[in-house]
Amino acid sequence: MAQTSALGQRKITSMAAKRRQEAVAGYLFMAPALVIFLIFLIIPIGAAIYLSFTDWNGITPVFDEGSYETIGLDNYRDLLLGEHTEDGRVVKASTRQKDFFIALKNTTYYVLGVVPAQTFLALVLAVIVNQRWLKAKGFFRTAFYFPSITSSVVISIIFMWMFYRGGLVNTTVQGLFPSYDSNAFVNWLDDPRGIIHIILEQFGVKRTTVGDWASARHFGLTVWEWLSGPSVTMLTIMILNTWTTIGTMMVIFLAALQNIPSSVYEAASIDGANAMQIFRRITVPLLRPTTFFVVTLGLIGCFQVFDQIYVISSGGPAKTTLTVAYMVYQNGFDRSAMGLAAATAIILFVIIFAFTLLQRVFVSERANV
Amino acid sequence: MRKAHLLTLVVLAALLVSGASATLARQGAEITLMGWSSSTEENDALMAQVDAFMAANPDITVNVNLVPSFDETIQAAFASGDPPNVFYVDSSKLPDWADAGVLASGEGMIENLDDHYPSLLEAFTYNDTLYCPPKDSSIMALQYNKAMFDAAGIAYPDDTWTWDDLRAAAEALTGETADGQKVLGLVTPPNIERWLPFLYQAGGSVLSEDWTEVTLDSDEAREALDFYVGMVVDGFAGPPSMVDAGWGGEAFAQGRVAMAMEGNWVISYLREQFPDLEWGNAVLPMHPDGGRASMVFTVCYGVAADNDNPDESWQLVNFLTGPDGSAMVAQEGFGVIPPAMSAAETWLEAIGPEIGQAFLDGAEYAHKWQFPVGFQEVFDTFNADLQLAFDEQVLVEDVIINAAGVAEEVLAR
Repeated sequence: MAQTSALGQRKITSMAAKRRQEAVAGYLFMAPALVIFLIFLIIPIGAAIYLSFTDWNGITPVFDEGSYETIGLDNYRDLLLGEHTEDGRVVKASTRQKDFFIALKNTTYYVLGVVPAQTFLALVLAVIVNQRWLKAKGFFRTAFYFPSITSSVVISIIFMWMFYRGGLVNTTVQGLFPSYDSNAFVNWLDDPRGIIHIILEQFGVKRTTVGDWASARHFGLTVWEWLSGPSVTMLTIMILNTWTTIGTMMVIFLAALQNIPSSVYEAASIDGANAMQIFRRITVPLLRPTTFFVVTLGLIGCFQVFDQIYVISSGGPAKTTLTVAYMVYQNGFDRSAMGLAAATAIILFVIIFAFTLLQRVFVSERANV
Repeated sequence: MRKAHLLTLVVLAALLVSGASATLARQGAEITLMGWSSSTEENDALMAQVDAFMAANPDITVNVNLVPSFDETIQAAFASGDPPNVFYVDSSKLPDWADAGVLASGEGMIENLDDHYPSLLEAFTYNDTLYCPPKDSSIMALQYNKAMFDAAGIAYPDDTWTWDDLRAAAEALTGETADGQKVLGLVTPPNIERWLPFLYQAGGSVLSEDWTEVTLDSDEAREALDFYVGMVVDGFAGPPSMVDAGWGGEAFAQGRVAMAMEGNWVISYLREQFPDLEWGNAVLPMHPDGGRASMVFTVCYGVAADNDNPDESWQLVNFLTGPDGSAMVAQEGFGVIPPAMSAAETWLEAIGPEIGQAFLDGAEYAHKWQFPVGFQEVFDTFNADLQLAFDEQVLVEDVIINAAGVAEEVLAR
């Protein structure tokens, strides 16, 4: 009796020990990645959150005495409300608020334009490239994916050459429509007019013809300014980015498409469905989780757009390509206000996170139907 | 087996440690100079100056580090508490860096004070402390395309020119190239620093002398801005993007504008990349009432406050900006004006008096490009409104009122 239980006990002990050994080994293997994650991601994010509650200028070494003062939510108040109170007196910061909401407006128009466009176009391209009748699939996949892996700085510079007022785009359009002469050339890279304003003007609706309601100010901008749409230059950058990121999204959709068994399509065609119906009723619903992933990726990427703005327009013309991410850079480096930059970055994080959560709720609701 | 491994490790460690300490034990001080990269010739000239310094001071080793994105790199270096010993300081950055406490005071450490241009020394004095000796300077002047002036039969600009002459010439020189491309008389970048000379010429200012009051909202400002914007609205001037250029110098070099308002940096650019261009240089035109002004853009050698080798740093800085260092650079004929007044003659000869004289003349009444900490906000707002004003979407009046309002807010902080 004692022997059996002794044997039994030894077996249990050695199993527990083995599991512990495996766990330790697992943690050891993960340790390098965890350490890097901690040093380069967790700690900086924590530092950014902390610094957003200070008035650090980004220059004086942080650990020096008196290099910054904690000011609580004042940075956030400056950005969202346009003022904060200091020792009883009100300190106005209307430019900080106005710049922030201009950046928010620009980024929102940018996201509203690019995310649907890149998702839809990527899906269409993936479906086309997936067709059985298409020859040279490898070539097309490479060609469409190529912009995604090219340096964004290089692409931005090439787009600049193409979109200069006397550049390729304008001269090509002139070739197609001779009445588009050099005096009518659109200055793609330096035109601050909003697209919606331009469209409305075609219908005779201008700032002077709409009523007084358009002059009401919200968060530093008039209603008319809120309704401007992206500027012509912003539109150029949106085209640039859509073209660049379609490739990545296409590859993701392609992988998902190839997971759909062809028996599904066969069954559908036996039931008499044509190509459009197959696409709408079978392909798109089956791709719902992938679409969610692509849209989330797109949202996160678009809200953080910086490279192209930095190379092409530096926030101009007239602050119409100023995005929230570029504003973080501006505040941190040009204006010696790193605390404010950190606060801007945190607000951006909250916005992106909220959008992602919202999307998830939306998608999982529909998936249950 | 195990013992042999251990022994090897110990021997290796001992070698490493002794090697390291041997390096550390080398005689003399080592200092780092950080700056941005200019043209290859200017970089080589800097290295030649540094070599000459090291030859005269065998105890000191200087590591020169020219980085591509200087602003971000130096700010990161400051913030990490590990700044280079000596670094470039643009006059516009001086208030920020002095306030942040990263600059060592130059009081009593700078030699040859009377050989430096007083206006430049003033540009690097903040809160009554002189921080660093200037390394070079660039003055804004008026460049003109000789061929275009000849073709239109207009006399070249000279020091009698007023605003009216500038406007008339710009109007006459606006037209088209042979292949139908637009040519403007004058390139007017939508940047406040290009407009400020006009403001100062009219007798206006942005801030009071002691930087406590905003004086931008004035009749002089309206007059100066009306003139600047007026030329664009009337069609004989415009921003560089209107003529497919990234900046005024490029527009001028490509022959898309007849006149540009750039500084000394344009000399090297034009001579190296557009050697066939026939161009001349004159002082900026004066206000009809005779007011003269220009802008000076200058950089100094700053010494870090947090410094292991302050004495050696000051030695290097004084050599580079003193008469010997200046003479070395002056004879190379780079565009920028060398720091020592004694080297002005050499520089003028090397660069050519017909180009260089206008820059030197402008130095007498040039205003420094320097504003209080945080003023970038004012510039960004002004530049944005100025672009809209070019398109007639914002009134000149509102550009000034908006900018003045932002300036008041920044000063109140």
